[in-house]
Amino acid sequence: MSDIRLVNLTKSYGEGNAVSDVDLAIEEGEFFSLLGPSGCGKSTTLRMIAGFVRPTSGRILIGGDDITALPPERRDIGIVFQNYAIFPHMNVAENIAFGLKLRKLPKAEIARRIEDSLRQVGLSGYETRYQRQLSGGEQQRVALARVLVTEPRILLLDEPLSALDKGLREEMKFWIKDLQKKLKITTIYVTHDQDEALTMSDRIGVMAKSRIVQVGTPQEIYERPKTLFVTSFIGHSNVVDVAVRRVADGMAVVALGGSELASRAGAGLAEGAAAKLVVRPENILIGTALREGDARLPATVVSETYQGAIVRYRLAVGDQEIVAERQNQAHVERFAPGTAVTIGWAPDWSETLLA
Amino acid sequence: MRRRGVSISEAFGGFRLWWLVLPAFLFFLAFFVVPVLSLLAISFNKTVPGVVTLTDAFTLDNFVRIFTRPLYYEAILRSIGLGVVVAAVALVLGYPLAFLIAKTEHPGRNTALMILVLASMQLDMVIRMYGLMVLMGDTGLINSALIGLHLIDEPLPLMYNAFGVVVGLVQVTLPFMVLSLVGIIRAIHPSLEEAARSLGASRGEAFRRVVLPLSMPGILAGSLLVFALSISSYVVPALMGGWKVVVLPIHIYQQIAEAGRWQFGAAVAAILFLTSLVAVFVYHRAAVLTSGGRT
Ligand SMILES: Nc1ncnc2c1ncn2[C@@H]1O[C@H](COP(=O)(O)OP(=O)(O)OP(=O)(O)O)[C@@H](O)[C@H]1O
Ligand SMILES: [Mg+2]
Repeated sequence: MSDIRLVNLTKSYGEGNAVSDVDLAIEEGEFFSLLGPSGCGKSTTLRMIAGFVRPTSGRILIGGDDITALPPERRDIGIVFQNYAIFPHMNVAENIAFGLKLRKLPKAEIARRIEDSLRQVGLSGYETRYQRQLSGGEQQRVALARVLVTEPRILLLDEPLSALDKGLREEMKFWIKDLQKKLKITTIYVTHDQDEALTMSDRIGVMAKSRIVQVGTPQEIYERPKTLFVTSFIGHSNVVDVAVRRVADGMAVVALGGSELASRAGAGLAEGAAAKLVVRPENILIGTALREGDARLPATVVSETYQGAIVRYRLAVGDQEIVAERQNQAHVERFAPGTAVTIGWAPDWSETLLA
Repeated sequence: MRRRGVSISEAFGGFRLWWLVLPAFLFFLAFFVVPVLSLLAISFNKTVPGVVTLTDAFTLDNFVRIFTRPLYYEAILRSIGLGVVVAAVALVLGYPLAFLIAKTEHPGRNTALMILVLASMQLDMVIRMYGLMVLMGDTGLINSALIGLHLIDEPLPLMYNAFGVVVGLVQVTLPFMVLSLVGIIRAIHPSLEEAARSLGASRGEAFRRVVLPLSMPGILAGSLLVFALSISSYVVPALMGGWKVVVLPIHIYQQIAEAGRWQFGAAVAAILFLTSLVAVFVYHRAAVLTSGGRT
């Protein structure tokens, strides 16, 4: 049985929907990310789960129990806010003790748990500091400690890294992931940063315009985007116009720049439909790098940009342009602008989607 | 997050901007500090009716008289008690109103509520007190309505007593309380209350443990302001109390304006001033204590 079930969850403000028909099942111990651009409804979804926003319709189940009508304090859900929400009138120890005192634990037990949790987040000795004496990263650790010390059933994180600078963000990414793994706590992580979602998650739900558009493992989301939106939101992809010739067995044959190419066929694709071929720059092979069975077509090198670890080519294909990235390794051929080349890719690493 | 201190001279862009403050400073000095100090100074002169000249004959006679005659020291206690009661009532009435205004996000509704609060400050205090008298007098609206409905036979004593004075003072000071609170309550980030809730606090517990302590600076500042305004008010006790609720400003007025006893009146004023100073000191101590060590 899944730990969290969202059933047709919807929230509307006035005429527009902030969240529409979100249907999700999240497994016990899973690290699930909600990924999407600003305003797509990630926070609203999270706040409905936490109990701060009343859904317009739909249900929320935790471990099979319907909690849709429960107030936040009775949901056993911990949440870390983007601004950390450390109580400024309490020191670190008092902040962490907050939930424990409400649970009426004995004093000695509270003291022991504060000590343990501060050790766990690497902040031993910070007991008497106040919020204004803590850096952003330290505040975040306190916020996590304050939540985890109450041993909630579910952990919700709303863009917890967005207020940190880049170096610290990288470090905290792995730290949070490790902690989550160790505690095996079911976690929903809200972010608009694809790197965070890809590196931390067991599964990702991509949201766009109040809806979940695709759910999958990081690999599925990255390699098998189901819609053009997901394609464009995750990483950089070439998206070129093609004409669909044939569709069979999940594969499509499309025409591009006078050549016919095979690729995976997206949902609803049919002969003659206007479509876009999607292929990532790192999957495009040039010249002798091509293998037997690869889709091939002629192209002309427009420019070559040296970027250290990679070399980037802009390639003209008919009247469209394709970008290719090649690892800058020993024995890798380089191509000067103006060179006529054959480019291609493994059909399975490209996909044709309805435009 | 650590905030780096900015010195005043930095904030003022060097010394040049000090010149802009100079006119205000001179005005304050000439029309506030000098008159108040001279009044305090003559309180140490022997009381001679009709004479206002400052001499170097120092005496504590006026103060001894204040603290040995019940008429006067009871007025001190009455003033303090009145100030405390008015501050408490204004707080109890003002906090929910300020909370509502602070939490109203709709800009139109927010402005409407603010105008409602500010509008009550627009009319002159004397006019507002006459309005209250029309409402609360023995033949006023309340009493005639109640008698008309045969609910009472004799008019209720709503005015010319402490009750009337408290009502008048609360009416005058409530906007100050609300304005002191609104900004502070609005600055309490909603996620603090939500964090408390998800950690297991009910709505009431979250209010008591998080919102209320964080409102404390506004509660203290508003109470201090209301207290100071109440104990120094002359018009309200005079009109609503009909000189029957004798507080310090009434003594000051009677001594100086009616009896020409400037020196003794000045001594009563000094006591009033001192009471306000003590209140400021109490406020400061309370602010340090309730801020949880934040200074
Ligand atoms: N209280 C509210 N009243 C009206 N509209 C709201 C309210 N809260 C959110 N919305 C709207 O709902 C939509 C989704 O908001 P939400 O905060 O969930 O987005 P988000 O995905 O978290 O975005 P971000 O990445 O910017 O935080 C937005 O268009 C927002 O304007
Ligand atoms: Mg958000």
